[in-house]
Amino acid sequence: MFRLYGCVFFSKKEIRFASINFIKVFWCKIVMEELKELTKVELKNLDKIFYPKINVTKGQVVEYYIKMSPKMLPLIADRPLVLTRYPDGVDKEKVSFFEKNAPEGTPPWVKTKTIYSETTTRDINYVICNDLDTLIWLANLAAIEIHMPFSKVNTLDKPDFLFFDIDPEPPATLSDAAEVALLLKDKLCALELTPFIKTSGKKGLHVVIPIVPEHTFEKTRAFVHKIGIELAKESDMVVSEFKDTKKPGKVFADYLQNSPLRTMVVPYSLRSTPEATVSTPLQWAEVKKGINPSDFTIFNVVKRKSNPWKNIFEKRCKLEV
Amino acid sequence: MAQENLEKEERVSASAPRRPIWSGSVTIGLVNLPVKLYPMIYDKGVSFRFLHKVDGQPLKYVKMCTKDDKIVPWDEVVRGYEVAKNEYVTFDNKELDAIKPESDRQIRISKFIDYFSVDPVYFGKTYALMPDKSKEAYSLLLTALERKNKAGAGRITLRTKEYPALLHTYRGALVLTTLRYAYDVVNPQDFEDLKKLKEPSKTELDLAIKIVTDLSGEFDITEFEDSYKKRVEEIIEQKLKGEKIRVEKPPEVEAKSLMVALRETLKQLEKQQ
Repeated sequence: MFRLYGCVFFSKKEIRFASINFIKVFWCKIVMEELKELTKVELKNLDKIFYPKINVTKGQVVEYYIKMSPKMLPLIADRPLVLTRYPDGVDKEKVSFFEKNAPEGTPPWVKTKTIYSETTTRDINYVICNDLDTLIWLANLAAIEIHMPFSKVNTLDKPDFLFFDIDPEPPATLSDAAEVALLLKDKLCALELTPFIKTSGKKGLHVVIPIVPEHTFEKTRAFVHKIGIELAKESDMVVSEFKDTKKPGKVFADYLQNSPLRTMVVPYSLRSTPEATVSTPLQWAEVKKGINPSDFTIFNVVKRKSNPWKNIFEKRCKLEV
Repeated sequence: MAQENLEKEERVSASAPRRPIWSGSVTIGLVNLPVKLYPMIYDKGVSFRFLHKVDGQPLKYVKMCTKDDKIVPWDEVVRGYEVAKNEYVTFDNKELDAIKPESDRQIRISKFIDYFSVDPVYFGKTYALMPDKSKEAYSLLLTALERKNKAGAGRITLRTKEYPALLHTYRGALVLTTLRYAYDVVNPQDFEDLKKLKEPSKTELDLAIKIVTDLSGEFDITEFEDSYKKRVEEIIEQKLKGEKIRVEKPPEVEAKSLMVALRETLKQLEKQQ
């Protein structure tokens, strides 16, 4: 008698458990159905951990890129993108890879552009991200870091950005890089140029100047190099040559990326740091001593109201070289 | 599709028990069909044993006197029926045994009904009936019920309790499902919450119906899985290997906040253009 009763009692509990589960499954299905109506991307494994140290899931990464898209999309449109994918999350022991070619299974609605690569002597089919769906698709591919070149796809050999990579060598820090960036800013403003700044998301800063795309990379690279040399003369902290980059405590004003299909990490891209830091556009007023990369992460960048790089292409400068 | 599901079900079904728990006969009017009754339903949930944290030894339940907290041996235990606050009428085991209904080893079928006319809320436990001696008579009843799509309604006494029961067919076998009494089932209309239930608006109803239609499909029991049980088993595996356990957020939270973010962002992007 006792045993039979015991079983009946247990099965009631089981029924209750099953129905709660059923509601969960049902609710989840409804949500996934609604998601399907909102995006063409078939989202998968949203609960997978992408940043193990801070327990950030793939779903949170996708959500981050969705929320940042209004600021991001105008900045990365019409550029061939280079991706760094972390299919098993950001973890030194797990695989990650650079990807230039649009991966197999790229849906037909994703815009791509085939560009012949002279160094590898073959065609590369680059992804171009002009809409939210493509951005979500990239996040769904675990393309956590996105990089872009300094020219648009139809004028590949005519850069529309000058790029200064301010890269501190330890023990120099982001704070030192900020000091150099401010020197650089004064210099550029004196030349009546309009510089914009973002954190690299790692230890450095990126300063860019939007320009009318009419010069070659040779010209822009030489111009950036020249400014770097002048800075190095004025400040002991700055080095302008690649051979000096490993000198401890120095800040390198890197001009070398000003070349066709060389890239920088795109504004608002997440980085592959354990803390999920973000390459964050800043107001110049925010660039000061004591600035810290960990102030700009997946959690707090979404809350930033300001949009320092808004309408950046309307402020293009004409470069006299 | 349905056939596929059946095959999948067969692969994951529980294994058949060896021994019957009851033997007797199905009685329909003057006809007797000797049968054996086997359990068919299992609860393969997760179960834990309580252990003493300090030395890992299993714990047991004991009956303790509420007055002096001393352990009371079984032969000093009687059953009490509370008639008023703190007033009991007592029974010892012998007295109760004497009045318990004896199983008459019969499943008495009084009529045949449409199986689907019994609501599943009444279903208790299901047992498999296997032929005892006469396979012909078993096959005859089975085939007749299958042809007519009917079930026999009657009663059975199992151990010491009498149940209403349904004799029906399931995958080419006769099975018996015990039923609950009407007084053991709540009428949901007795809940206050259902009073003055509002009629849904047409648009809302259309949306709900659309969701239901879109999500319509065939039922496949193998799609369901006790995710808690699975997770516990995974963790046991990991613990045996000495791995660390990470607590993860349930996936539906992700999907929900994504949906909200997407809706808002789409609106924002529309404005930008």
